[in-house]
Amino acid sequence: MDVLSHLAGGFAAALSPVNLTMALLGSLLGTLVGVLPGLGPTAAIAILFPLTAVLPPVPAIIMLAAIYYGAMYGGSTTAILLNIPGEVASVPTCWDGYPMAQQGRGGVALGVAAIGSFIAGTFGVVALTLFAPILADQALRFGPPEYFALMMLAFTAVVSLSGASLSRGIAMALVGYLLALVGMGPATAQPRFTFGFEDLYGGVDLIALIVGLFAISEVFLGIEEARVAIAQKITNIFPSRADLRQSLPAILRGTGIGFFLGLLPGCAPSVTVFVAYDVEKKVAKQPERFGRGAIEGVAAPESANNATSSAGFIPLMALGIPASPPLALLLGGLTVYGLSPGPLLFQKSPDFVWTVIASLYVGNVILLILNLPLIGLWVRITRIPYGILGPLILLLCFLGTYSVRNSMFDVAVSLVLGVVGYVLRKYHWPLAPMVLSFILGPLLEKNLIQALSMSGGSFLIFFQRGLTLSLLVAAVALVILSLWLMRATVRRVELAAAEGAELS
Amino acid sequence: MNERRVTGAVLVLLGAVALIEARRLAALREEMVAGAVVGDDTFPWIIGASFLLLGLYALFLARWPVTHVSFPGGAERRQLLTSAAALAAYYVITPYLGYTLSTLVISTELYRGMGGYRWSVALLIGCVTTGALYLMFRVWLLEPLPTGWIGI
Repeated sequence: MDVLSHLAGGFAAALSPVNLTMALLGSLLGTLVGVLPGLGPTAAIAILFPLTAVLPPVPAIIMLAAIYYGAMYGGSTTAILLNIPGEVASVPTCWDGYPMAQQGRGGVALGVAAIGSFIAGTFGVVALTLFAPILADQALRFGPPEYFALMMLAFTAVVSLSGASLSRGIAMALVGYLLALVGMGPATAQPRFTFGFEDLYGGVDLIALIVGLFAISEVFLGIEEARVAIAQKITNIFPSRADLRQSLPAILRGTGIGFFLGLLPGCAPSVTVFVAYDVEKKVAKQPERFGRGAIEGVAAPESANNATSSAGFIPLMALGIPASPPLALLLGGLTVYGLSPGPLLFQKSPDFVWTVIASLYVGNVILLILNLPLIGLWVRITRIPYGILGPLILLLCFLGTYSVRNSMFDVAVSLVLGVVGYVLRKYHWPLAPMVLSFILGPLLEKNLIQALSMSGGSFLIFFQRGLTLSLLVAAVALVILSLWLMRATVRRVELAAAEGAELS
Repeated sequence: MNERRVTGAVLVLLGAVALIEARRLAALREEMVAGAVVGDDTFPWIIGASFLLLGLYALFLARWPVTHVSFPGGAERRQLLTSAAALAAYYVITPYLGYTLSTLVISTELYRGMGGYRWSVALLIGCVTTGALYLMFRVWLLEPLPTGWIGI
């Protein structure tokens, strides 16, 4: 009852003309920036942040949250139509969304992404409203050993992201970890792996890494392939009944995975989308369809992305812990306005908290109403000839990377990684494990050090706590299952190839 | 050039770098926090040892299939190289010429190089792009972009 009365008050404030306009404007601007290749939610929030500075706290945070949601949706458009993820969380969407677009089903992929995002986003916000206090309590029970075990569980996704060669996947994951180590050490705040270069003290920026490895290298490959944007006319964005039947279980699984993992601080969409994709591949009767335009491969990660983003608001507001880079910027937005996210925020500023929560419901509805009819408009942006689009992407990559930290060094990093990414992709080295471990690395290290400090350096701490042990056992089981499935898939493909050869 | 051997050598090198840095950090930990058993060196030790093991595996044990990679030639290679060079030039000249002027120069070159447009057309599209980006990011969003010597 208390929750409902708070929420009713929140809706009354969120539906005021000013707040509603900000939610609408934020959704539109976020989608507009997110749809530009190479720019994801973090860059979108970073770029549009100055716009909100002139507003009072409540409409400003509502607008920032709407930009976040809008940019996430926009990111899936470029992932599906151009094979360019604006952020890590859109990488799995590329794997099946782009093949779908190549098969003339880009509209359906975009429609499923929008529907999945709406269902997952709404579920996430409803659950957030009902269970926020209880779940926040559970999250508080997670200590460093549990977080370390959780990160290990997420890290098992590297196995299925490695493609044909596990050793190459592990090598890329190690490179990602090494890059994550650059900067100031978490224990002593002393520089490490900086070799005297002051520019390296701030570490390697995630956006620079993503833009370089995925966006710039993509343009280079596009030049080589003389690529044209998917120029099909998107006529049908509504999935057929068969499409919905196929994608609904994936949407629900993705929502569940995204939400429940997203409840834990530190588990960002960039982790859960890979887990959701991985699970979908594992439960599929024909896992070899994945990577070739499987609709579940779009539905599951897109749903997980939105569910995690909604769930990420719980640790952000209840504990002040941002689960992802865009939420870290939102956290920055809160502190700019003198609000301290944490358990006290619910007590000190309940009106603010519940207005923002209510605005998340409103934002989800706005996005669905806006984006399904406007898909044609967003698609038109991608129909520009590659001779124009390619240079434009490169110019925006330069600007997007620079705008996050106003750093020319980040631009240099993204350019170098663009070339490195191009060469690695030519040799079919998997890039996803590198990005995954780059995100998990600092969290894994922080929790490992804290856990070992708690135990005086004894690794036994990970085997003496029930929850930690369960998570580690689950991680080992998942690795074994992934390896078994990987081999089974290879055998199945070889068998199919042999049968094909016999027939011909 | 054998891909497996090059990879193995690079991994061993990265492992050596990580272990050397771990050793430096371990000494620093002992100096700064007496009695601490873990610190900023813990992960570099783990990563360094893993790199080393994986590098040795790649050098002596791995059975990777040989990947045949063909890099582009002719016009495509020229396009690729000029685009990469233009980006490098963009990075170099931006602090001096400022974001706006650098964007005009580099966008014109990119449209000419990647799109194959005539100089006049490339310059026109470059002007439109630069103007749009200027209005959107500098005027509207007040993004603090480098202004260079000219101040724009």
